[in-house]
Amino acid sequence: MNHRTTQTSLALFCKVVDNYGDIGICWRLARQLEQEHGIAVTLWVDNLASFRRICPQVAIDRELQQIGAVTVRHWSGQDGAFTAADVADIVIEFFACDIPPAYIAAMAERAPHPVWLNLEGLSAEAWVEGCHALPSPQSRSLTKYFFFPGFTSKTGGLLLESGLLLQRQAFQQDPAAIAAFLSQFGVTPAEMASLKISLFCYPQAPAPALFEAWQNSGVAMTCLVPEGVAVDAVEAFLGKQAQAGASATRGALTVRVLPFMPQPDYDKLLWSCDLNFVRGEDSFVRAQWAGKPFVWHIYPQDEDLHHVKLNAFLQSYAGTTEKLAEFSLCWNEAKKEAVDWATLWPSFAADMPKIAIMAMDWQQQMLANGDLAGNLLKFAETVR
Amino acid sequence: MKPAKEIRVGNIIMVDSKPMIVLRSDVNGSSRTGFTYKWKLKNLLTNAPMENVFRGDDKFDVVVLDKKPVTYSYFADPLFVFMDTDYEQYEIEAENLGDALHYLKDGMECEAVFYDGKAISVELPTTIQRQVVYSEPAVKGNTSGNVLKEAKIENAIEANQHIVMVPLFVSSDDMIEIDTRTNEFKKRA
Repeated sequence: MNHRTTQTSLALFCKVVDNYGDIGICWRLARQLEQEHGIAVTLWVDNLASFRRICPQVAIDRELQQIGAVTVRHWSGQDGAFTAADVADIVIEFFACDIPPAYIAAMAERAPHPVWLNLEGLSAEAWVEGCHALPSPQSRSLTKYFFFPGFTSKTGGLLLESGLLLQRQAFQQDPAAIAAFLSQFGVTPAEMASLKISLFCYPQAPAPALFEAWQNSGVAMTCLVPEGVAVDAVEAFLGKQAQAGASATRGALTVRVLPFMPQPDYDKLLWSCDLNFVRGEDSFVRAQWAGKPFVWHIYPQDEDLHHVKLNAFLQSYAGTTEKLAEFSLCWNEAKKEAVDWATLWPSFAADMPKIAIMAMDWQQQMLANGDLAGNLLKFAETVR
Repeated sequence: MKPAKEIRVGNIIMVDSKPMIVLRSDVNGSSRTGFTYKWKLKNLLTNAPMENVFRGDDKFDVVVLDKKPVTYSYFADPLFVFMDTDYEQYEIEAENLGDALHYLKDGMECEAVFYDGKAISVELPTTIQRQVVYSEPAVKGNTSGNVLKEAKIENAIEANQHIVMVPLFVSSDDMIEIDTRTNEFKKRA
């Protein structure tokens, strides 16, 4: 821990749009800034209920609370009075959310002005490097800086806690720990011995077709899906409500519904499985640190702009094989032609050992870029 | 006030109370929060150039400046000389022309923009026609409608010769229409 004599303060404003991804990223960042860098963090979040799904300690009816050493404030609207004394040394608006006008006015009153950052979304598109860390002059002599996470040294890097990879390695080398972790969700020894897949996706994912292909694949596999995810497909498969604890086996496939879990447990789930389906940004990054093959379901955007992002990632990702690219495009409905999942799945599965090895190479590349929290603080120092 | 997404190259905008000319605008996608606008700006008071980024809905005062129809006359290194209908000449620095530099052609009609009595930039028509001076022939089999190739277009100063992405059916010597706001091919003229 690197506590400073005078503790730096930081306010992080988070507006929840994508149920768990936004607060998921902000919560990880807030904790890491506090725990590893000694920053006094205040996390402003507009949706405490979503926050509670990934952090059970959150009380959804409190305006102000401490979770660990992070101050959490309910961001209940754009009104509110602030003075210069209320403003933190570093102010981050996550995903360009509009922070309260009175807070901005107070930022202008504060001497010196705070470092103001717009923390943007993760993308492998080439233009990100050209926009990363550029100033965005605002009124009242305030300057905001755009800060982009990314996959190259010319971006802010990826979120990564300092001990994460060692924790993962220790966990993966301990079969008893994996078994203990999975068994708490009812996973049986036979299911543990099968091909284990975690499934986290948006509702429009073609999960029913994939379930059918898995069911008929002849290879025993267990799909672990958090409650509330791919509900229609899971309920159709189970023939009953997709509540945590529910499971069914049809053909080669067992589908088991897990409770929605805190972030550290979700990491363990990713580490335990042979293949992970992830979505959005937060679980997407965690899957990369899990070092296992993964398939990304990207947050949908108008005019299929997300397909551009998906292709940019697939072109830069060291773990991409032709089969992974094809499978990913089909999973995201980026291919116009009809998909034959019964053929696509086994050809992708045959590539998984190769993809797993390449995924580890990718981690080394990403480590060389530094981590997002550290890079962000270094940048803040340069513009202070 | 105009949002960033409506600001054009050549506009003069107030950025934190400073008059800036937009020399270049790159629209980048696709953040969840909309597009990101990367601008090359020049402070008209200090001549200091800068690169900034904005969100599409960031708003700016657009300074309404005097404009006068002119035609491009000649290049007097490093100044570009334009002439009005009274044969009065106006010299504009190359760097103030921004992307307009790519489309300058002898006798081209445009509007000179004045700030504090001085011609500081030109605004181009939204659509212009230019001849393709070179483009590789289409490769047989490349028939998909979305495939584009590079085409060099005619220009007053060869060093500023510009490349526009065009469909495969466009050939050398063709006349094409270009949208100067986006630098994109519109159609074959």
